[in-house]
Amino acid sequence: MVTKTEETQLNQLENQVENGGGGVWEYMCLVRKLKVRRSEIVLKHGLSILNDSGKRSALGPDEWTLYEQVAIAAMDCQSLGVAQNCIKALQKKFPESKRVGKLEALLLEAKGMWEEAEKAYSSLLEDNPLDQVIHKRKVAMAKAQGKPSLAIEHLNKYLEVFMADHDAWRELAEIYVSLQMYKQAAFCYEELILTQPTLPLYHLAYADVLYTMGGLENLIAARKYYAATIDLTGGKSTRALLGICLCGSAIAQLSKGRNKEDKDMAAPELQSLAATALEREYKQKAPAKLNLLTSALRNLKIA
Amino acid sequence: MNLGFLVGFFGVLILSHAAYSTIQYRGLLKIMEEEFSRPPINVILELIIGLALCMWAALTFPGKFLSIHPDSDENRAVSLPDNSDFMIFNHRGRLFPPEIEMKF
Repeated sequence: MVTKTEETQLNQLENQVENGGGGVWEYMCLVRKLKVRRSEIVLKHGLSILNDSGKRSALGPDEWTLYEQVAIAAMDCQSLGVAQNCIKALQKKFPESKRVGKLEALLLEAKGMWEEAEKAYSSLLEDNPLDQVIHKRKVAMAKAQGKPSLAIEHLNKYLEVFMADHDAWRELAEIYVSLQMYKQAAFCYEELILTQPTLPLYHLAYADVLYTMGGLENLIAARKYYAATIDLTGGKSTRALLGICLCGSAIAQLSKGRNKEDKDMAAPELQSLAATALEREYKQKAPAKLNLLTSALRNLKIA
Repeated sequence: MNLGFLVGFFGVLILSHAAYSTIQYRGLLKIMEEEFSRPPINVILELIIGLALCMWAALTFPGKFLSIHPDSDENRAVSLPDNSDFMIFNHRGRLFPPEIEMKF
């Protein structure tokens, strides 16, 4: 979870590094801590440190972590030669290491040699059958080969053992959404909300899935979760405000022909309050687009 | 930082002095065989001054207070970490290797 201060810090360091100021090592550490994916910049500047033997020895024992980071970034940017050299250097230093073995199998994956990578992962799993990272790599391989059902199968087996892994639940939810299996995706998001109820992004994603599924109960639930997101973010989430307006108009349309029992339970001011908040935010941040917004909101209320 | 530390130090000194005077006052009352209802006015004044000094020092000495609101600018989650455990290399960027030839 990247907070706003961390994001500004990251962007600042990135600008500094790209424009030739120092601070490359701090940037690498921050990227590693926040787990963001900035492969090109990491590759370019990491190589500049590694090629310079003076700067390399100045890092001390941290240089091997840098080798690992640069190797993965090189694989992401398809510079397989660089990745190979980094792994060779690591192999020389740590000959019988499982971590280097994982990197080698990762390189096989990046080259597209799926069977060899599969064999490498199976042999690594024999030594250590409870290694989380290797199980996740098998899922990633299935995903990369275009077999989402196999990926789902592997991921479900993984989650039966390691139920507390948030990243895995999120990955499963995204795969289900990409296959349009919205009920299962909603289940995954419910698990995530149960374990981390203070993170508004999960509420937002869950509300999006419910809104996509449609139907009166789902729309009412979606509106509740958009409202929860607004509560948790202090009213700053534009997407949630728009979600409330859209849900409101969709519910009004669906419940036109129904009896009074199925009437909408929420306060009628909710939609107008959300609309005013949206207009205020657009006036502040994008005044040129305010007309678009007001006409769209007017259409929603009429329809 | 140093000013806060000094002020806190003096606050604690004043409080301990007030405690000592109260104990002495009680000893005096025991000699005069009177009831101890409350410490004398000057000790109470000393206690109030000591309280004010210690509170000021406690608020300024530790430095900047961190925010606890989940939606304040420092704490709000902007994005979730990209799942690098499930990262695949089979994306469209594969066809665009970096222009500069990287040697190692």
